[in-house]
Amino acid sequence: MTVPLGRTRLRPLRAGLAGAIAASAFLLVLVVAAVAPALLTGADPIQTQVLQALRAPSIEHPFGTDQTGRDVFARVVYGTRYSLAIGVLATTIAMTAGLLVGTLAGLAPRVIDGAISRVIEVLMSFPEFLLALLVIAILGPGPVSLVIAISLAAVPVYARVARVQTFTVRRSGYVRAALILGVPKWRSVLRHVVPNTLGPLLVMATIGFGTAIASAAGLSFLGLGPQPPTPGWGLILSEGRNFLGTAWWIAVFPGLVVTVTVISASVLGRFLRARGEGTAA
Amino acid sequence: MPARAPRSLRTAGAVAGLAIAGLLAGCTAASGDGDQQSLTYAIEGANLSAGHMDPHSSQLDVSALVQRAVLDSLVAQDLDGSFQPWLAESWTISPDELQYEFTLREDVTFHDGEPFNADAVVANFEHVTAPETASAQAASMIGYSADGGSFLGAEAVDEFTVRFDFSKPYAPFLQALSTSQLGFYSPAVLDGKADELKTGGPGISVGTGPFVLSEYTPDQELVYTANPDYDWAPANAEHSGASDLDELVVRILPEPSVRAGALTSGEVQVAGNVTPSTVGSIGDGTTVNSVELPGLPYSLYLNQNNGVFADVKVRQAFQLGFDPQDAVDGIFFGQYPRAWSILGPTTPDSYDSSLEQRPSVDIDRANALLDEAGWTERDAEGYRTKDGERLSARWIAYTPIPDDRASLADVIQSDLKGIGFEIVREALEPAAYNEQYGPKTFDITDWGFSGVDADLLRSHLATDGFQNASGVSDPAIDTLLEDAVATSDPAERAALYTELQQWNAENVAIVPLYVPSMITAFSDSVTGLAFDLYGRPLFYGVQVQGS
Amino acid sequence: MRPDPPKRATPGAPVRWLLGRLGGLLLVVWGAATAGFLALTLIPGDPVEVMLGVQAQVSEQLKAQIRADWGLDDPPIARYLQYLGRLATGDLGESYQLRQPVSSVIGQQLPATLQLTALALAFALVLATIATLAARGRRSTRIVSLVELTAVSSPTFWTGLVLIAVFVFQVGWFPIAETGSLRALVLPALTLALPVAGVISQVLRQGLDAASARPFATTAIARGIGGGRLLLRHTLRHAAADSVTLVGYLVGTLIGGAVLVETVFARPGLGRVTLRAIIDRDLPVVLGIILLAAVTFALINLVVDVLYRWIDPRLRTGSVAT
Repeated sequence: MTVPLGRTRLRPLRAGLAGAIAASAFLLVLVVAAVAPALLTGADPIQTQVLQALRAPSIEHPFGTDQTGRDVFARVVYGTRYSLAIGVLATTIAMTAGLLVGTLAGLAPRVIDGAISRVIEVLMSFPEFLLALLVIAILGPGPVSLVIAISLAAVPVYARVARVQTFTVRRSGYVRAALILGVPKWRSVLRHVVPNTLGPLLVMATIGFGTAIASAAGLSFLGLGPQPPTPGWGLILSEGRNFLGTAWWIAVFPGLVVTVTVISASVLGRFLRARGEGTAA
Repeated sequence: MPARAPRSLRTAGAVAGLAIAGLLAGCTAASGDGDQQSLTYAIEGANLSAGHMDPHSSQLDVSALVQRAVLDSLVAQDLDGSFQPWLAESWTISPDELQYEFTLREDVTFHDGEPFNADAVVANFEHVTAPETASAQAASMIGYSADGGSFLGAEAVDEFTVRFDFSKPYAPFLQALSTSQLGFYSPAVLDGKADELKTGGPGISVGTGPFVLSEYTPDQELVYTANPDYDWAPANAEHSGASDLDELVVRILPEPSVRAGALTSGEVQVAGNVTPSTVGSIGDGTTVNSVELPGLPYSLYLNQNNGVFADVKVRQAFQLGFDPQDAVDGIFFGQYPRAWSILGPTTPDSYDSSLEQRPSVDIDRANALLDEAGWTERDAEGYRTKDGERLSARWIAYTPIPDDRASLADVIQSDLKGIGFEIVREALEPAAYNEQYGPKTFDITDWGFSGVDADLLRSHLATDGFQNASGVSDPAIDTLLEDAVATSDPAERAALYTELQQWNAENVAIVPLYVPSMITAFSDSVTGLAFDLYGRPLFYGVQVQGS
Repeated sequence: MRPDPPKRATPGAPVRWLLGRLGGLLLVVWGAATAGFLALTLIPGDPVEVMLGVQAQVSEQLKAQIRADWGLDDPPIARYLQYLGRLATGDLGESYQLRQPVSSVIGQQLPATLQLTALALAFALVLATIATLAARGRRSTRIVSLVELTAVSSPTFWTGLVLIAVFVFQVGWFPIAETGSLRALVLPALTLALPVAGVISQVLRQGLDAASARPFATTAIARGIGGGRLLLRHTLRHAAADSVTLVGYLVGTLIGGAVLVETVFARPGLGRVTLRAIIDRDLPVVLGIILLAAVTFALINLVVDVLYRWIDPRLRTGSVAT
């Protein structure tokens, strides 16, 4: 759960570059795990082997085995697909909706803009996680509600940025110039406003993707997401919570993967933002 | 814009200051006044707050478990199975077994001062059988059914004599009377607050018991205080008079590891619903009491009125397609035996041990049965199909699902995939579960049902049984169940129940998986703790040393 | 003709400003109430059955009462006004599943959550201060920023589980389920504090970095208390974090995190109530919690604004952007 903290430029770009490369590499591994999990593990994530239950991590089972003898590493690898899909889907929906709403507000007359801004403010007054919880309260638990909840909860943040960006671009010299030159308003919007807004939004989305994955894991952990035996990360984690005293690895490793994913998304996002500012300024 | 940053920090400071003040105010509630005897009992407590505080209406064990402290019964059942006087001093049964007459104690009063008498008894039985109560278990335990059961009604003969009438003999009646499902509420409550009983609470859950419910915080704790006037303990109790415990706190701790940890660290003195995976982690200085539950083992119910289970071959293949032995041994750490029959071995006068000779897992036979049933094609994922439809069954379970049961389901699902049988699992919140359970739109569901009398099979297998999740509708079975409940001769009853168990083994309406035990662990500082036939702790007569 | 005197000189301005802010507060609460009402109206199924949840079998009398309470037979507009009217008098309605007023359901659980979040906030401030002080050299700054990033990025529930695995099961320093004892509060509060500490420390450090560019600041901070005030008053302005976002984040992490932390540590509190209300679809309670969150957030914002104006007189121009 990362919060956009404005311009972070604590060290030279080069130091950030190493971090960004490491982060990208990790995210790339995740993509591989999502697309072709069999490349990373030979074990079956669903097939139970009770006699192999609760084995500590070893070379054979890098993350150990769970209470029914399934390889935790294989479950995490195969679970990547679900967790990544939820993260990407929720972020894309949130960003698209946010872009739409924000741009409209930025271009609309003051009254409509005011109304939209109020709604965004009210929604932003709710913590994202709580908002997602409330959406699930209304829709009922399940994977579809999970995606809707996470994306809805993130829309206001994107909408706000899109609105401010639209404002800035709209008032900038070149758009005004274009308008004076007789370019239709909708065209200048498409040509200038949307592309200019998209950049910062994509950077935000990189960070937001991490947040979405963490939220999804949290909601699944509470039992409000996909059902077993789908090896989503949050679900594996929650299965391990009663074995903390005897088999810590079931809960610890999936959580570690979630954390590293969030960190990677965050590092990459910050790097992109820093670069964007560097070139734009 | 940058100028606004500092605000946040000031907020943080201000909120912290405020909050710490609140913290100091809130943290003073520690225990410690002198010789007050207080005991804390940790239970799982799931769904208690979801309208299950009234044993008259609820079928959940937890309901009967916690309300035993408040609700007394007419008779008590001893561990040897015999019945002892409790609120009834004595009773007679007519030779035709159609009338039971009870002489009540005359010195009993409810917590709210109402007298306990024949009218109170009648009012309680009227509450159990009233349609608004929608009793899921208690009514059926006394053989009541809206459309013609055995139970006709209760009648006050005089102030302290009550008579129950039956249309046909009903063997499990005394046993039923001894449970808290048929305990007694104050008539004042039944009169004015009957529809609040399911929610329960102080002033609502009012009985004659040794403890008075004095505080109730849903999903957190129930606080009972000793009833100082209590002087009507069951005849088989070691203790008499008011309870030595001044306070009994039932703490709801849903996580098994937390219950075990809380006992080990001394936060609670008694931990209930201990699971096999945590029993090993409980520290020294404690005693573990394990009672193998009588009744219906934890089982799967195959709904034969919906989808693929209409075909008995598919049901048989289902049962033969997975190996419960290793799964149960592994998941429950050898603490729970694998179940062979729809009755647990400790159920009196009924268990058919010959079923233990039957083959359990037979993959070849399962495959052959499915071939015979026409599920011969395979789809891309390896599941069997017939006419383009996948061999698939939907298993609904209500939350919270204990981890060990989820693991067991994982194993079954994984094993059945091997014979090309897809199991789709859905975990449903209780409300959503009821929506599907009502119209029976599922293929599989699961539960265990403890009970001392084998008659509990009636609610699971009779055509109109309220727990008949398998959708069994067979006149021969109905007759068998009716005969069994009307028979009081133990050997004859056992013969009838054996027939039923064998019928199920062949027809696979219910797939028994394991026989759970009620495992309770308690600190050595607790003395005088007794357990009933269900392994539920009885706190009357308990003392706590050096608390 | 002489120009009008500048606005800031008029004595009525702060009052007007405050009124404006209060209006904004009401607007947020009204918005939340309306959103909740809409959700309740749009939910599929008979609202009476939905509100009764699992406790489906109750008397017709109670069902009639629910209909009357919520004016379910009235047209939506009338129902909406009635609902707002009841909220205005502080009546949050009744949980039909628990048969208790919503305010008492929430009130019972509030102290436990307040304790937790308060201690968490205290921990967070201490940790953030330590982190800020530790980040001196370039190398240590890098380590601290990595630690912060990890703290901010780790899912709350996972942090909790790891802390339990280590400090309860391996080391045995803390009890697991004791309620009402400070010792049992430590781990949950720490879990909740870590991400918050990460954020505060990031903000603090950015402020410090900006400040250290100026020689006067460096010397001032070295002197102690004066430095802290200086930090607050002059330096953090350079950090670009939007205070609303930050406050929202802090409150959000604390409330949202409480749901997870209370579940992980099996603690009573508002989080557990929220989760239970969601699972059982106890909508009156859900609505009450929505309103509580909105009011809390709006109030905190108001207090921040007031404090801020009080501390920094230059902002008393009546034209602070919102």
